[in-house]
Amino acid sequence: MRTKLFVLAAGFGLMLAAVPIWAHHAFAAEFDVSKPLVLRGTVTKMDWINPHAWIHLDVKNADGTVTNWMIEAGAPNGLLRRGFNKSSLPPGTEIVVEGWQAKDGANRANGSNITYPDGKKLFIGSPGTGAPTDKPENK
Amino acid sequence: MNQRIFLWMSTGAIAAMMAAGPLAGQTSVVVAKPDAKAADKSDAKAPTKTKAEAPFAAPKTPWGDPDIQGTWTSDDTWGVPFERPKNFGTRATLTEDEIKAREKAVERSAEFVENGGENHSPAKAQIDAAAKGEAPPAPPQGRYGRGVDSAPVPGHWGEFARRASHQTSQIVDPPDGRLPPLTPEAQAKLDAKNKLRRDPVPASYENWSWYDRCISRGVAGSILPVIYGNGLEIVQTPGYVAIRYEMVHDVRIIPTDGRPHLSSNIRSFMGDAVGHWEGKTLVVETTNLLGDRMAVGVNGDGGPPYSEDLKLTERFTRVSANTVNYEMTVDDPKTYTATWKVAFPITHEPGYQLFEYACHEGNMAMHNMLSTARLEDAKKTSAAPQPAK
Repeated sequence: MRTKLFVLAAGFGLMLAAVPIWAHHAFAAEFDVSKPLVLRGTVTKMDWINPHAWIHLDVKNADGTVTNWMIEAGAPNGLLRRGFNKSSLPPGTEIVVEGWQAKDGANRANGSNITYPDGKKLFIGSPGTGAPTDKPENK
Repeated sequence: MNQRIFLWMSTGAIAAMMAAGPLAGQTSVVVAKPDAKAADKSDAKAPTKTKAEAPFAAPKTPWGDPDIQGTWTSDDTWGVPFERPKNFGTRATLTEDEIKAREKAVERSAEFVENGGENHSPAKAQIDAAAKGEAPPAPPQGRYGRGVDSAPVPGHWGEFARRASHQTSQIVDPPDGRLPPLTPEAQAKLDAKNKLRRDPVPASYENWSWYDRCISRGVAGSILPVIYGNGLEIVQTPGYVAIRYEMVHDVRIIPTDGRPHLSSNIRSFMGDAVGHWEGKTLVVETTNLLGDRMAVGVNGDGGPPYSEDLKLTERFTRVSANTVNYEMTVDDPKTYTATWKVAFPITHEPGYQLFEYACHEGNMAMHNMLSTARLEDAKKTSAAPQPAK
């Protein structure tokens, strides 16, 4: 994985040398990179809102209690182009989220990696959505 | 496949140059690519790289104007440096080897979007290291200590180029592809803005840009390519062109009937745009902007705030069924000591749609960032020596 990451980074370096990445808000003003977490829980709802979608997740704690977490996802338009739609994540779906907790200590997190429990990707591309990864033959 | 892409890009570039030839005054270095479908139908076993396509016959509307309608995106220029790295000098296009390298980078970025979630687990890496009693990997460092670039961007957030641009920079004039020096007045405004944006404990929503606050990205910020949401839709009627932008949903209604600009007393975030047709090119001049707020840069916040004297001149030229060459000349003597110009293609991608981007109501990040800042304030207050009773 490290090698692959390095290769990826090198590629980006060549292409994106002078390109800062701007998204819709400031990560480090909102989330804490010293508070990494892995959450496994059940989806209760998904807010399809701009500028970012939020996934609500019930997570069972060690003591048996349940905490509802909010996980930040991408922008709805971008998610749609990833092939992700309203019916992709119905309530009751079990998912695993890796990310960082909110700086203010709330039960919110940035979802850097979101998968099904078997590791299957959640944000999977599909043809014909206008996604960059659409191959010409799929258009 | 790689070879095939290279072949069609080469033929497309030549076709584009031929198509652009008759356009007087066009100095664009934009390399237009053919649409994907045309590329797919083209002879993948073309014997040479120099096979030229027939000149593109630009479509017209029923009332006779050039037809540039449709949904377009500037995604293909995402990743091309805004300012040209100095080592390229005045060279505006990549060499063949550099193009191949960028094609590889585009492929890798596509892989990042598709697989980044699996290959990109820094949070888990931190936890795993802690479980083994090892020192955790250093947290990702940002440029300012804040900003999304201070942490890995989830792969699934991103949108990336579909084709490798041949340009060395988005800025094509001055010839070195770099911004002209700022006026002292503009430098002072930039310094003040940076201080506000980089405040580790922001006092107010006003520390954030108009983009962060879901208000506007301005004219330039709405089309310069960023990490996602680079779409725009163009609709024409007799005497008008309307442009709707994807992210932060600004809309411009541009009259092309020869009317003059509004009174200079009337100012707005998107300014007053008037257009006219020069051959098959739509030329749009925008003035009457509100000064000292947004910038001519990504998301309307990259660079110094522009003055109320800013004049933007944009040119839209359709060079193939799925490509419009876009240029924007920036003239703001109070901010930049010379005019400058960006140029890049915008492309139509089948399936690409714009959905409403109303984002103020759901802008939870603003609430979350401010609540974090107030928590920092509270920590400072509680840590401060208490006055004697």
